[in-house]
Amino acid sequence: MSDPVLSVEGLTKRYPGVTALDGMSFEVRPHEVVGLIGENGAGKSTLLKSLVGLVTPDAGTIRVRGEAVRLRGVAHAGSVGIGMVFQEQSLVPNLTVAENILLGAERSAVRGGIYRWRAMKTLAQEQLDKIGSRIDPGARTDTLTFAQRQMVEVAKVLTIEERITGEPVVLLDEPTSVLERDEIATLFAQIERLRRRASVVFVSHRLDEVLEVSDRVYVLRNGQVVAEVDPSAVDATDLHHLLIGRESGGSHYHDEAQRECDGAPVRLRVENLSTAGCTKVSFEVRAGEVVGVAGVQGSGREDVCRALFGAIRSSGGRVTLDDQPFRLGSPRSAVRSGVGYVPSERRTDGIIPPMSVAENLSMAHVGEVCSGPVLQVKRERGLVDHWVRRLGIKTPSPDTAIGTLSGGNQQKVVLARWMIDDDLRLLILDHPTRGLDVGAKSDVYALIRDLAAAGCAVLLLSDTLEEMIALSHRVVVMKDGEVVTTVETPKGAKPDPVVILEEMV
Amino acid sequence: MSTDTAPEVARPSEAPRQPDGSSRVRRELVRFMPLIILAVLLVLLSLRNPDLLTQRSLTTMADSAAPLMVLAVGITVVILCGGIDLSIGALASFASVLTALWVPSMSGAVVVPVVLVCALAGVVQGWIHIAARVPSFIVTLGGMSLWTGLALAFSGASTVAVTDIAALRWAFTRIGGTVPSALVIALGVVVVLGAVMRFTPFGRWVASVGHAEPAARLAGLPVSMVKIAAFGVSGACAGLAGVLLVARTFSGAPTLGESLLLPAVAAVIVGGTAITGGHGGLFRTVVGALIVVLLRTGLSLIGVDAGFEPIFYGVLIIIAVSVTIDRSKVAVLK
Repeated sequence: MSDPVLSVEGLTKRYPGVTALDGMSFEVRPHEVVGLIGENGAGKSTLLKSLVGLVTPDAGTIRVRGEAVRLRGVAHAGSVGIGMVFQEQSLVPNLTVAENILLGAERSAVRGGIYRWRAMKTLAQEQLDKIGSRIDPGARTDTLTFAQRQMVEVAKVLTIEERITGEPVVLLDEPTSVLERDEIATLFAQIERLRRRASVVFVSHRLDEVLEVSDRVYVLRNGQVVAEVDPSAVDATDLHHLLIGRESGGSHYHDEAQRECDGAPVRLRVENLSTAGCTKVSFEVRAGEVVGVAGVQGSGREDVCRALFGAIRSSGGRVTLDDQPFRLGSPRSAVRSGVGYVPSERRTDGIIPPMSVAENLSMAHVGEVCSGPVLQVKRERGLVDHWVRRLGIKTPSPDTAIGTLSGGNQQKVVLARWMIDDDLRLLILDHPTRGLDVGAKSDVYALIRDLAAAGCAVLLLSDTLEEMIALSHRVVVMKDGEVVTTVETPKGAKPDPVVILEEMV
Repeated sequence: MSTDTAPEVARPSEAPRQPDGSSRVRRELVRFMPLIILAVLLVLLSLRNPDLLTQRSLTTMADSAAPLMVLAVGITVVILCGGIDLSIGALASFASVLTALWVPSMSGAVVVPVVLVCALAGVVQGWIHIAARVPSFIVTLGGMSLWTGLALAFSGASTVAVTDIAALRWAFTRIGGTVPSALVIALGVVVVLGAVMRFTPFGRWVASVGHAEPAARLAGLPVSMVKIAAFGVSGACAGLAGVLLVARTFSGAPTLGESLLLPAVAAVIVGGTAITGGHGGLFRTVVGALIVVLLRTGLSLIGVDAGFEPIFYGVLIIIAVSVTIDRSKVAVLK
């Protein structure tokens, strides 16, 4: 076996409340296509960012051709031979393809600070030739399709070849997420081509693609490599089980606490809801029912939830709450109608980190702790103490800044923020367990069960299908902005995730 | 209090779960730095010139501190929300012209309509900022020119003298023969506004919007209303500051308040309120205003011409911002 080009040992990165990388180790050998798969929150993006110097790890070593490096940024990573094709793309739209390819590595295309257009085109063409692309280097980047821009990025990354001796490592971050079928085929052909001159790390959450294109696959979970598999020896179902892990028995999800709600009145009725990302979505949620919304990235499920809370604009549709017309306006009007929302980005959208646990807990229903316009600090203290005890929130005091708590405790405060409302009618949970550890997840599941049992309607988006199926009474499956089917997921007869997965893709 | 937390210098990616010893020391130091600076200044200046602490010199300083303090307290609310109001100097000038023009018909009660008009002016700027989604920096930069222009138009581009000296006596007198009434009025504004910020949800809303507007919005807080109200408060304070200026100079002029914008912003920042919003509070601004006034006095004590003051405000603001800014919120510096 040849020596690895890139090896990572014990890489660790902690954020307050979340361990993104927990001693991650893996290696990439010359001319190899290595697949990295993991669910959201498994640590993929933090890993990639550390490999191009955008994140400084707390511990662990990155070795390039046996030599330990401390990467200081994308340019530095390039100079040692690591380049990345970013998921969200990093091209400047109003420049030409040639300018973008050579951006930051102009060499002889700039003399005395002045662009030499002809030299630039020639140099850019050399890069495009490496990948056999017929894109015109003089075209403006914003006239290209997404797939073409991705090819430009690949060509751009290959400019690092000129700066190093030996062959580069090219990181592809979710390269297929917005590509059409035939574009994906082109990309895979390109990866085959690429491996002749480089090693490739292919990151994706689409199992079949990873299996198709990779020589070896690392499965990531909770910031660690949990398995190294040979794609020829496993199938998507095996991989799926590795991916979600078997941390959970029935008690993990508190299955026994799921109550039937067939006879309950319809709480939320959505008819033909449309937004920028979804069209004519219709479904119902009964009081006490948990309804999951499944779908891949770009399916429009986030749009549905955010539009229902008034966080994004909707362009049409009729929504009723307890048979009363429910106007989709602002989050404030939604809150006043008894709707709550737990955002997926906890640190930026969920909590206000420097403010206290008490302030974060009472903020949505501050009227509960006011007499007229005046805050009643003692009443607030009582209320906060009650919920801190009831949910087992671990905090030194209600006055502690919430940003210093662990992720699980932060999320419990966000949930309590809505639970203090006796009239909470609908709670929208947007990836409520993202970044939480196993114990905290289980606590959150228990709270969701409690809420449903108390008659609150719950709309749930999850990172994992298993979680969604376990918690929900029904799962609405979305694809390309539309509802494709609804799958019943009653207690004791939970379907296999693969059933829903097939509808999603 | 919630609006008076220390500026946090740690970025999220670096913030330890519990602040360790050195970072806590640093935080506390930043927190009390304005008070320490104020005390050191007071000692240094009075050593250099023992006359500084005489009643006469203190009341003179208080007279010039009062309008500055009122202006600075008003803009503090806007800055806590994460915005900026560059129009306050021009609005104070506009208010001074209105006051001088209206005193003959309304006498001392002129303060009520002037403050209301300026509050409305602030609300309109806030509303445009929200409704048209234009940065507050731009809206109030335009406002700055607009209010100056209106002041010029109303005054005929000249100073409007107030002949009825008694009408505004209440704002420029010595209570009990010693305490300047303007200072009492300024501190009254601080106390009332401080009470509103502390004892009603408004202060928390302001801090929430300043710290994390997306989170505040998604928790259902009245974000737009809070911001518009902040600009209204800032405008009202500018109006009152204009009245105080007229009471002191017995005239209104279209450029009277212009030179107060930078000292007011300097007072807010030097007091320890972060320009990025969230961190800070009104009482910090009071300390900041006192520092600015003391420094100004100190400069003239050591013989620096008043014409050089803008240099000093410019340097002061840049240094103070670089210490107090919350860099976790500034992804791209522009």
